[in-house]
Amino acid sequence: MPSSTTDHASRRVIGARAALIWGVIATVLVTVASVGVFLVAPEDADQGAIQRIFYFHVAIALVSLVAFAVACVAGILFLRTRKLRWDDVSVTAVRIGILFSVLVIITGSIWAKASWGTWWVWADPRLVTYLIVVLIYAAYFVLRSSVDDDRRLRFSAIYAIVGFVSVPLSFYSVRVAQSFVHPVVFTSGGANMPNSMLIWFLISLAAMLALFIALLEVELVGRRTERALRALTLRLESS
Amino acid sequence: MSTAVNRPRWTRQLAGLIRKDLRLELRTKETVVAMVLFAIVTLTIMQFGFGTRDDDLTRFTGGLMWVTLAFTAVLGVGRSYVAEREQRVLDGILVSPVPRIVLLAAKAIAIVIYMTITELVVIPVVGIFFVKGPYWDSIGWIALVALIANVCIALSGTLFSGLALFTRARDLILPVLFLPALVPVIIAGAGATHAVVGGPHDMSEYRGYCLFLVGYAILFLLVCIATYDAVFDD
Amino acid sequence: MSASGVGHIYGERPAVADVHLDVAAGERVAIAGPNGAGKSTLLRMMATLLRTGTGTLTVLGEELPGGARRARCGIGYLAHDPLAYLDLSPRQNLQVYADLFGVQDADRRIDDLLDRVDLIARADDLVRVLSRGMAQRLALARMLLHGPRLLLLDEPHASLDAAGAALLDAELAAMRTDGRAAVIVTHEVERIASVADRLVVMRRGRIVVDEPVAGRGPAQVRARYEECIA
Repeated sequence: MPSSTTDHASRRVIGARAALIWGVIATVLVTVASVGVFLVAPEDADQGAIQRIFYFHVAIALVSLVAFAVACVAGILFLRTRKLRWDDVSVTAVRIGILFSVLVIITGSIWAKASWGTWWVWADPRLVTYLIVVLIYAAYFVLRSSVDDDRRLRFSAIYAIVGFVSVPLSFYSVRVAQSFVHPVVFTSGGANMPNSMLIWFLISLAAMLALFIALLEVELVGRRTERALRALTLRLESS
Repeated sequence: MSTAVNRPRWTRQLAGLIRKDLRLELRTKETVVAMVLFAIVTLTIMQFGFGTRDDDLTRFTGGLMWVTLAFTAVLGVGRSYVAEREQRVLDGILVSPVPRIVLLAAKAIAIVIYMTITELVVIPVVGIFFVKGPYWDSIGWIALVALIANVCIALSGTLFSGLALFTRARDLILPVLFLPALVPVIIAGAGATHAVVGGPHDMSEYRGYCLFLVGYAILFLLVCIATYDAVFDD
Repeated sequence: MSASGVGHIYGERPAVADVHLDVAAGERVAIAGPNGAGKSTLLRMMATLLRTGTGTLTVLGEELPGGARRARCGIGYLAHDPLAYLDLSPRQNLQVYADLFGVQDADRRIDDLLDRVDLIARADDLVRVLSRGMAQRLALARMLLHGPRLLLLDEPHASLDAAGAALLDAELAAMRTDGRAAVIVTHEVERIASVADRLVVMRRGRIVVDEPVAGRGPAQVRARYEECIA
């Protein structure tokens, strides 16, 4: 137990305990999901072993969208309240979202190589849209690093909102174009999977979600600690 | 001394701002002339960039036209706030009781006008340069999709140029912000053009793309309304 | 206008901290201080160009930032720059601002003001070809165009020519009787005696002195100022 109340309060603000708990949950879930996906889940009749990448590929894809949604909501909250912690959440979520999107492209590319024999397929809407998504959110950091102070926070929040509007537009435009050029709509993996596959898919989805939350919490702890430290330094300097 | 102020009407503010931008443009003619020349140069480069001596680029009409228009849009949008920035007038505008969304609307309307003038040149030139086959029959359809796309370009463009205005290296930042958001417009514009040029007239495809562009414009309009206050809210 | 505990932070260093300042109708307050004392930052906050970081700021009865747009109707702001489009004429510039502020009977009022700042002969030339002093006289006309009740002046005498300065001083003298207020940020401490009723001295973002000018002459004001910032 912390000895003084201020110590207790500052620990709660920094939130190290939540990060620890989510870290444990994420570790357990990712381990379970990996074992399940690679050893337990049934082999796909058509595609063979490579189909196993689908569990992570799709789960990561969905969670990266969650990350961008979190960034957008945090951006809205920042503009409303002007509280720094919402900027922290927003920028961290974008960073993790980009990381996950790059993983989507890499796993998708591996899958494309195995299924179609080439690393890049413009006809695969998921690869193409995630490329656009990465470009959209890479610009977030370009913008962020070229403005200062209040504007940096405000513009980041605005861009997190605008970016999240661009995402569905990109998805949809790529799919609309795809549907005209290739009448057969790609549904990678297929919607009708047997229950034995569905369970493992849901577990990997939960694992990725927990991983996202854990990464978010850890990064937030770092940012809060750094800010508390700077505030303390300033106070010491001025006294 | 008389205080001759009412609550100002936004229609008058909007008209005043647009009149001002057009007056400045008529006097200097910097933006539109540069845009048109840039577009023609880009189209010329495209011919050589494809590395072919074949005159018939009909298959690529949509792509050629919309890539050119997108780059030209970046150029034009980048000029949006040049007068305010270089002549340091922005503070004067911002201390006036003008809703920020009216500022956006005025700039967006100016961009629609500049883009339309550019397209009046680009669309015929694309036909002359690249298309061997029926083109002039569909020119009305191309003009229509271009007009809808202009609204999309103007709305997202003004939002991004407002952000880029306050950044370091703003001329580099703008394309990085703006072009990824333009990808859907390029896809839809090129798709719609492709649907009516060269191949079989596929009007359902054309309509699909136009509807998509209308959706894009509506979404960005909502985002602009929601966020534009915060751009100038120092 | 009333400020209470107003502050603003650039990055991590406060530029203005815990400022309390009330300006009553008819009052003319001069803010002096060394470079970087936060004078301009404070003025920009009053002009609704910069948000307050802390504290509450009420301008013309409107609390900022919520009431900013209504407050703007009554603010006249004179900056270092003339805030005029160089490729428009003085008349066209004033027309833009008349539209933005919703000034009624604009053409007559613009002619009136151009006459008063002695620019009527150059009303249709481009601002680009006007001298610095003329451009600043145009800025003076722009500031007065909508009949503001609160004037916010940032170093007004720095770029005005003699004719412009005389006009401004006359305007500031007239204000005492008609209930308008003014806040003047200035380096030229000697002028304070003639244009202001109150002397406020800022240092490192804080107000160190706030007292009536009370009939002091230019030399006495300068002496008092030196004393404050020493």
